[in-house]
Amino acid sequence: MMDSQIHKIHQQLVDKKISCTALVQQKLNALKENTNNTVNSLLDDLALKLAAKVDVKIAKGDPIGLLEGIPFGIKDVYMLQGTYTTASSNLLKNYKSAYTATAIQKLLDAGAIPIVKENCDSFGHGSSSENTIFGAVKNANNPDLVGGGSSGGSAVNVAKEYTIFSIGGDTGGSVRQPAGYNHVYGLKPTYGRISRYGLMAYASSTDCVGPIAKSVEDIRIVLNAMSGKDVKDQTTYASAEITKDSILNSKSIKTIGYFKNFIENDAIDSKIKADFLIAIEKIKAKGIEVKELDFFKSDILVSTYYTLAMAETASNLSRLDGSNYGNRIEDKNLKESYAITRSENFSEETKRRIVGGNQVLSQGFSDEIYLKGLALRDAISENFENDFKEVDIILSPVTPNSPPKIGDSLKDPHAMYLSDAYTVGFSLGQLPTLTIPQGTETGLQITAAKNNDELVLKFANFLKDTI
Amino acid sequence: MSKIMTVDVLSSIKGAQPSEAVNKLFDVIKNAQPTNNNSFNNNRNNYVSLNDLRNDVVIESSALEKQIIIENFPKEKGGYLVVSKVIEE
Repeated sequence: MMDSQIHKIHQQLVDKKISCTALVQQKLNALKENTNNTVNSLLDDLALKLAAKVDVKIAKGDPIGLLEGIPFGIKDVYMLQGTYTTASSNLLKNYKSAYTATAIQKLLDAGAIPIVKENCDSFGHGSSSENTIFGAVKNANNPDLVGGGSSGGSAVNVAKEYTIFSIGGDTGGSVRQPAGYNHVYGLKPTYGRISRYGLMAYASSTDCVGPIAKSVEDIRIVLNAMSGKDVKDQTTYASAEITKDSILNSKSIKTIGYFKNFIENDAIDSKIKADFLIAIEKIKAKGIEVKELDFFKSDILVSTYYTLAMAETASNLSRLDGSNYGNRIEDKNLKESYAITRSENFSEETKRRIVGGNQVLSQGFSDEIYLKGLALRDAISENFENDFKEVDIILSPVTPNSPPKIGDSLKDPHAMYLSDAYTVGFSLGQLPTLTIPQGTETGLQITAAKNNDELVLKFANFLKDTI
Repeated sequence: MSKIMTVDVLSSIKGAQPSEAVNKLFDVIKNAQPTNNNSFNNNRNNYVSLNDLRNDVVIESSALEKQIIIENFPKEKGGYLVVSKVIEE
């Protein structure tokens, strides 16, 4: 319960200390006035209509659910029927969702109120939320710095309390890194725990739906609401609800580990390194055994991830040609129309990734790059499997450095790719990983074995009182 | 159609060229030592059991969904949705 915004606001609604309409209006106003560029579109009409319904229920004395009337934000890559879903791109700037994503529908069914489609890197292509037609997202704590990405608008909205929670998408760190940059919680669940139906595909083999919130308890509530098997996404699996009590006691966690090479290298900021090691000492002082683990070099992790992600995004985005939807530009024939539509409407970063993907999928290159990347991914997964025979939890920094200044990442894309060094490995392993706003300037990541999201939340609760 | 397709043609992006930032990533993979060739395809088991396949049925879209799909179509003329000129080669 502690620090839970959802419980707090639920109680205020039930006690009639605030009406749902007033609450939603207050958040909409804050979003409208915000100068951090977090908003792609506001959902005023829909949100106020839903809020009025909640108020009628409360006035009648009907019981309301925990999520009922709670305003939340949606990264602008999720379908919500009738709303614009732009992926922060020129190509889809006027595209309207024809249907609603499963994860979002589950939140609607629980009574939560969507109030905003949030700014992000176009199609999730970025680590800074600068690759967007809506203007760079500014960091919640220092507007000269980036908001992180690709779910930058979502993390900033939660940090600023413009939304109570937001739904981001995490393919290689896009929930965890902006959560770290803005000092909030962000979870990438086990791959398949939440349906991706209605999430615009970036790299299908690592795409995950992920909640961003201000407490472990709120992450737990929202995760439970969205989880479950969905026939519309056949990678989903059935999972048990994580109860509040089950994550309060961390006695089952006896051994944790960290990757030695993440900490002992030249790329990590000296303060982040020192703070990480202090956190490790505090954990040891609680009687938990800490093991140093061997892992793949950062450049291998980053290269493996980007090779596979680019190949997948080149395939996924091939549908965006202006035929049936999108900003079509006509030319002398169909092939030329496709080419001019895509050339004019994709950002430089998106084009860079599509081209990279088609490079590695081409004959002559696929063996030495793409197939080798797949083999490396298997080796990385195997490494994780062996690690979790030795330890219950793996702890890592979220990023090697503090957030860059706005403008720097666009100038040096390779440096931006390398900044994902600590997040991409867990994506390739499809492991549940949570960013907590503690330990280092950009937080810590808690990772457990596949399907063990509960243990991640449990350890987060433990660390809240430990470091 | 020529036998060799360049990345700009493959990507349907005019003038597209491989980038240095991305090539640097690929060089790392080329030079990486494969640790265990036997593991290939061992761990990617996101398969669906045959018993779990969804039914092969046509699900009718709602009227609203159909209306939005038409709204999203880039060009309309005299009540018809207009496609681009087809390739003639």
